[in-house]
Amino acid sequence: MTPQAMTPPLAVRGLAKHFGGLAAVQGVDLDLPAGLITALVGPNGAGKTTLFNLITGALAPDAGDVLLDGARLGPTTPRQIARRGVARSFQDLRLFDHMSAGENVLAAIEPAAWFWQPGDAAARRAAAAAALADTGLTAAAGALAADLAYAERKFLSLARILATGARIWLLDEPASGLDPASRARFVALLRAAAGRGITVCLIEHNLDIVTELADRIVFLDQGRKLAEGAPEAILRDPALAAIYFGDRA
Amino acid sequence: MTAYLLNLAQLAAIFGLLAASLNVLVGYGGIFSVAHAVFFGFGAYAGAQIALNVAPDVLLVSAAGGLVAGVLSLALALPALRVRGEYFVVASLGLQMVATTAFTEAEPVTGGLGGLVGIPPPQLLGLSLASPWAFLAVCLAALFGGLAVMRLLMRGSFGRSLMALRDSESAAEAFGKNVALLKTLAVALGCAIAGVAGGLFALQMAFVNVESFTLDQSVLVLAMVIVGGAGTLAGPLVGTLLLLLLPAALSFLPGIPPTEIGAVQQAIYGLAMTLLMIFRPAGLAGRAQGKR
Repeated sequence: MTPQAMTPPLAVRGLAKHFGGLAAVQGVDLDLPAGLITALVGPNGAGKTTLFNLITGALAPDAGDVLLDGARLGPTTPRQIARRGVARSFQDLRLFDHMSAGENVLAAIEPAAWFWQPGDAAARRAAAAAALADTGLTAAAGALAADLAYAERKFLSLARILATGARIWLLDEPASGLDPASRARFVALLRAAAGRGITVCLIEHNLDIVTELADRIVFLDQGRKLAEGAPEAILRDPALAAIYFGDRA
Repeated sequence: MTAYLLNLAQLAAIFGLLAASLNVLVGYGGIFSVAHAVFFGFGAYAGAQIALNVAPDVLLVSAAGGLVAGVLSLALALPALRVRGEYFVVASLGLQMVATTAFTEAEPVTGGLGGLVGIPPPQLLGLSLASPWAFLAVCLAALFGGLAVMRLLMRGSFGRSLMALRDSESAAEAFGKNVALLKTLAVALGCAIAGVAGGLFALQMAFVNVESFTLDQSVLVLAMVIVGGAGTLAGPLVGTLLLLLLPAALSFLPGIPPTEIGAVQQAIYGLAMTLLMIFRPAGLAGRAQGKR
């Protein structure tokens, strides 16, 4: 393998963020290799979502760096990060509720702010239609996002990311609350994406999904990285299990 | 009676355009401005000055109104980039108050409290538009032309970006949208069209003064948008017709002594608005409740 091929598309070094007296993220190092699914696991307040916010420029770190393809990023904004091929989802979805599912996906791939979009409008429509088809939402394309069922809303959140063609996906609890059939479809979608070389990082509380889906687990607690490795190894560690299930004593 | 109805129809077309322009901000962009009369005023004063000093040509007057209001819209765009929701409402309220004072005090430009009088009858490329029918045709052309432009933009990627911003600013940004530019353009578009409406208003009234550009007017235009249905293309027009024609129609109520008509009118008007917001919160042209 060449050194370039080994450089992870996304990495963070010594990332730290304090909110007043609370250390939300403390000196976290993380590599997200291409084509692998990495799960961030840890109890509430471990700093998982804050880490996503730091990577995507929604929050400015107090210390540390984000590296894209090995290059230090420096101060950035969510817009710049998105344009570098990093897409994220939100725990509370943040769909464009008063727009149709189809418009939600189209809006996600129309970044220009002017009165028109440069580029091929037909290609964008085709990409949006393909993303809706892949997530099983073709029939719901005309329905308002606010009117969709819970699982459909989750899939719409994924369809928006799928359509962007982003090479790095940061997903915040994308599978929570899905029924078994939807979950299986969701797992297949993410597996297929990783198979295409997409770097996937997800925050997930459901350890069954993590076991089924993740190639690696990074375990966070109180803003620190406690462990990382293969799912079986991490999930079998009694000390980590005690932290995760709140049995610290 | 015909003259009265023609006058009302001209005003309805002008206010329809004004409400539709505010809908770009409020309905599509989620930018809740209570200072829209300010930009209507900028357009009216600019148009009146052109009509008085250059020529009362409809094209020239509306272009000047649109240009001046569009450029000065930066005064509204700047707070819109910094604050959201109720904080922006208060910031725009401040702008409205400052502007009302400026309109009153800047006598050389606005004529102060007395306003600008003696605006000559409108023309179009040298042809007289003194006939109310001809001027109504111009107002309707401006209204439907403006609506066509807004329909094109709002149904396209610009409208989608704007609505995305309205529904979730952070998600829109996470998908690479330039929030600052989008808001600035939306405000400039909405305010420029308000300026065009202002230019037509100056020609229609043949006189402009600060009373037409106060907070009351801003609130009335906002009510037109909300009652009709914010974020819909037809909504502002429906709201304008209702809020402009209802008071006119109520003044013909039979069996009420002329001294009481004002109070009765206000009561019916207020009650209608309250009931409407309870039963049709998305406005008359918006989605009916319970159809989710």
